[in-house]
Amino acid sequence: MIEGAPWRRWVFFYIPLTLFVFVLLFPFYWMLITTFRPDGELYQPWNSPRYQPFWTSNPTLEHIKYLFNETLFADWLWNTMFIAAISTVISLFCGVLAGYALSRLNFPFAGSLGTGIFVTYLVPQTLLFIPLAEIIRNFKLGDTPWSLILTYPTFLIPFCTWLMMGYFKAVPRELEECARIDGASRVQAMLYIIIPVAIPGILSAGIFAFTLSWNEFIYALVFLSSPGEKTVPVGVTSELIRGDVFFWGPLMAGALLGSIPVAMVYSFFVEHYVSGLTGSVKG
Amino acid sequence: MATIAIAVDDRQKRPRPRTRVLEDERWLAFALLLPTAVLLGLFIAYPFVKGVLLSLSADRVGVSGGFVGLANFDKIWNDSIFRTAVWNTFWYTGVTTVFKLFLGLWLALLLNRHFKGKAYIRAAILLPFIIPTVLSTFAWKWMFDPTFSVINWALFKLGLITGRINWLGDPDLAMTSIIIVNIWRGVPFFAISLLAGLQTISPELQEAAAIDGAKPWKRFWYVTWPLLLPVTMVVVLFSVIQTFADFQLVYVMTGGGPANATHLFATYAYQIGIGTGLLSEGAAISLAMFPFLLLIVIVQLLYIRRVETR
Amino acid sequence: MRVTRRKFLRATGAGTALAKTGGMAAILASGQAPAYAQTQQVHWLKWNDFVPASDVLLRKEMLPAAEKELGMKINLETVNGNDLQPRVTAAIQAGAGPDLIMAFNNQTYLYADSVVDMTELAEDLSSKEGGLYKYARSICSNGKMFMGMPWAVIGAMIAYRKSWLDEVGATTFPDTWEAYRDVGKKLKAKGHPLGQTLGHTFGDAPTFTYPYLWSWGGKEVEADGKTVVINSKETIESVKFMAGFWKDAYDEGGLAWDDTNNNRAFLSQTIAATLNGASIYIESLRKPDQYITEKGTQMNKDIQHAPLPKGPAGQFGFHLLQSHMLMKYSKNQAAAKQLLKWIHTTSNYEKWFISQKGFATPCTADWEKHKVWNEDPVMTPYKVAGRLGQAPGFAGPPNAKAAEALSKYIITDMYAKAVQGTPAEEAVKWAEGELKKVFI
Repeated sequence: MIEGAPWRRWVFFYIPLTLFVFVLLFPFYWMLITTFRPDGELYQPWNSPRYQPFWTSNPTLEHIKYLFNETLFADWLWNTMFIAAISTVISLFCGVLAGYALSRLNFPFAGSLGTGIFVTYLVPQTLLFIPLAEIIRNFKLGDTPWSLILTYPTFLIPFCTWLMMGYFKAVPRELEECARIDGASRVQAMLYIIIPVAIPGILSAGIFAFTLSWNEFIYALVFLSSPGEKTVPVGVTSELIRGDVFFWGPLMAGALLGSIPVAMVYSFFVEHYVSGLTGSVKG
Repeated sequence: MATIAIAVDDRQKRPRPRTRVLEDERWLAFALLLPTAVLLGLFIAYPFVKGVLLSLSADRVGVSGGFVGLANFDKIWNDSIFRTAVWNTFWYTGVTTVFKLFLGLWLALLLNRHFKGKAYIRAAILLPFIIPTVLSTFAWKWMFDPTFSVINWALFKLGLITGRINWLGDPDLAMTSIIIVNIWRGVPFFAISLLAGLQTISPELQEAAAIDGAKPWKRFWYVTWPLLLPVTMVVVLFSVIQTFADFQLVYVMTGGGPANATHLFATYAYQIGIGTGLLSEGAAISLAMFPFLLLIVIVQLLYIRRVETR
Repeated sequence: MRVTRRKFLRATGAGTALAKTGGMAAILASGQAPAYAQTQQVHWLKWNDFVPASDVLLRKEMLPAAEKELGMKINLETVNGNDLQPRVTAAIQAGAGPDLIMAFNNQTYLYADSVVDMTELAEDLSSKEGGLYKYARSICSNGKMFMGMPWAVIGAMIAYRKSWLDEVGATTFPDTWEAYRDVGKKLKAKGHPLGQTLGHTFGDAPTFTYPYLWSWGGKEVEADGKTVVINSKETIESVKFMAGFWKDAYDEGGLAWDDTNNNRAFLSQTIAATLNGASIYIESLRKPDQYITEKGTQMNKDIQHAPLPKGPAGQFGFHLLQSHMLMKYSKNQAAAKQLLKWIHTTSNYEKWFISQKGFATPCTADWEKHKVWNEDPVMTPYKVAGRLGQAPGFAGPPNAKAAEALSKYIITDMYAKAVQGTPAEEAVKWAEGELKKVFI
């Protein structure tokens, strides 16, 4: 805690923290209030005397009902979760193995391979999605979740590999050598000694990877076409923005309901996550 | 998800007939890198090469135009909008990174203390990072809307302004607006990552310095900051890459307007490649981002290596 | 829950198949069912209609009927209008995707090499329904082929608040730019400015700036489609006028508006008039009790429509024209043509047209006589949107070059620059430079 007089505690701790939380969460409050606000109140200009930015006198569930009854929101939510989860698992699998190889094994070109994997992270998506569409067609993956599950790892793997490399470097070599002396093979040492130690690192890479796939827009827009196959960002924008009218209530409800489940999972993981990251950056 | 995790486990536990081969580091490395190499080779290498070839051709959508060498790059180099976009991208990346780092660090220091409800606050401030960017940007757009801006309302009520601020309509303010949103979205990532870094620093170091009579500011500068530097560099690296190639945010907020004042590499590439159908030129613009990015990244990587080996 | 389990089973099923037979080969094999065994399937991609009822009508009534009559399956996909182009581009480059795709304006020229000629269908429609408008013809046909089947025109007219214009003495809508500026000045003084976007948005920005330019006598190119003549006395005059007009009469927040902002500003009683589709009026009709004027009456009773005023060179309009492109890569061209033919049959198209309530104007002349236009006099001005439209690229053809200039927002940005303080001559010179790079 901050030492000294209570006012110091306020000035250096409570006030800045409150400000941070307020600014970071205000847009969510805004979404929340828009979700429950009847349409009539939306159309009040900021300088009108009836402008009530922070509350609503007639809360309504209409927008949430609309979202679930008139759109396929439940499907989109499920699709997004499914795609994000599987592509995260694939990327972690690849990233952990590659990260281990690049950080702990001696083989020719290890360094340049590591850089090579990293460089692929720099390739802009706006350049990639058109040639990728061709590959998706060749593999006949169009309009299936697999079109995204297999392409998301392209930007997730470099990222996971990089994080895992840092983490593995931090694990002391003695740990592995002890196991080897006890008769474990290299693979066994990796599977039973090193990887378990790296669980927090894997978790943190996983959370980042999940968030990135959760957010992705352009691939999801281009590769999926059936309304029931879409993800939350694409589904919500293509169903609730019509010509020159936004359906603000359902739009904000969609944004909010689409992120709350993830937020809950994260709040559960966040402590592990913090310690996981800690490990990954020691190296 | 659970089933899949188990499946992966099973595969790992299954006894491998080639175990002996895998005792050789080179073979093991090969085996471990194979899945990554296949996925990246299939889904990045080929499209990337295609993209490069595209940028050297005169292709339009559905029309192949043949090889033209560096003509597209020559063309965009003489394009004033492209230059604006380059400048904008650097400005956008630079300003947001400085602010994200500073604010993120500050927030991390605050969160590193013990207080009631710590876990909830930590989880809650991650929200801006979690929510799909497209959707949160719509919420911001509504908050900046000249007719409805709650920000203007608040500033007006606080007596800070007398008329409205034309957030997205003025070229400089439009840039400021997108910078604000980017910072808002990025601060949680910085804060949580740096918080993790802070927790590795043993409190005894701080206490020792305190006993020696060092002021808090000096303790931070001479004890905490050097230890935090490696993690900071990694976080900055990822953030710079993401920000430099940012697309969604600007596309939704301003579409590059007013009068091209907020175009970034990615949005301009999109406008030319997709909007205008000049695929080759769009690819050239996308690709022009690559050397800049590579340069920034190499500098940072070298710096990280130096910091790490120190 | 039901959906979840089904989806999960399907997904995991695919996963095991992948693991068993070794990856892509399995997917390749399972994807290639013999074509002859399937019923014809048509994938139709269009924008999500501003009038949601029309999409519902298509999904729930019309397409099921078509499926039955034509013996095919129809997969209608709707996306946000802004997201159509990335879809078209990726589909063409990959050589696979939707069979029918909606195009806006002269985008048809951008994709001309990747679409099937629709001359037969279009001419057939033209002969049956009193002739295609010249505007629709110039946008959909390059003289050799019809690149798209004209679908509808989304007319752009000025929606205005009758009572507010009355208050400042404009009992009829001003018919010249000078008169409109005067009225706007008075309106702005009373706190009800005019509203207009000059931002990067595909609808409301170019539908204002192009006709405005033409009405002053400015044009992008000569009729040869090559000689850039934007840097003319007329254009400079128009830009100068615009800069003053903007300060005098317009809501200055409009510079970065997208297509939706002016709707909201109008419906919230902030602006007195704005160029738009009929969406403002239709929205106010849909929820009559929600949009109330300051006098407590329903706003929809106080809305009128008028075309853009005249300039020294005449009166012009540029309206969003939608057409459907049948893609060359499509394996279901015959079926897709059948579907288009079916939906353009007068009795079928009429159902859709009525559901639009005048938001969309058909592309053939006979529809001007339809009773929809008499039911609501407020909508009557939209009747002739198709007849009055002029295509971008004037005086040249609305070809790919013109589409490029349009999608780069060159004309719009020229005015936006001037409004932000760039001297008129400089703004025009900038536009000239940009246009010269396009029209070479």
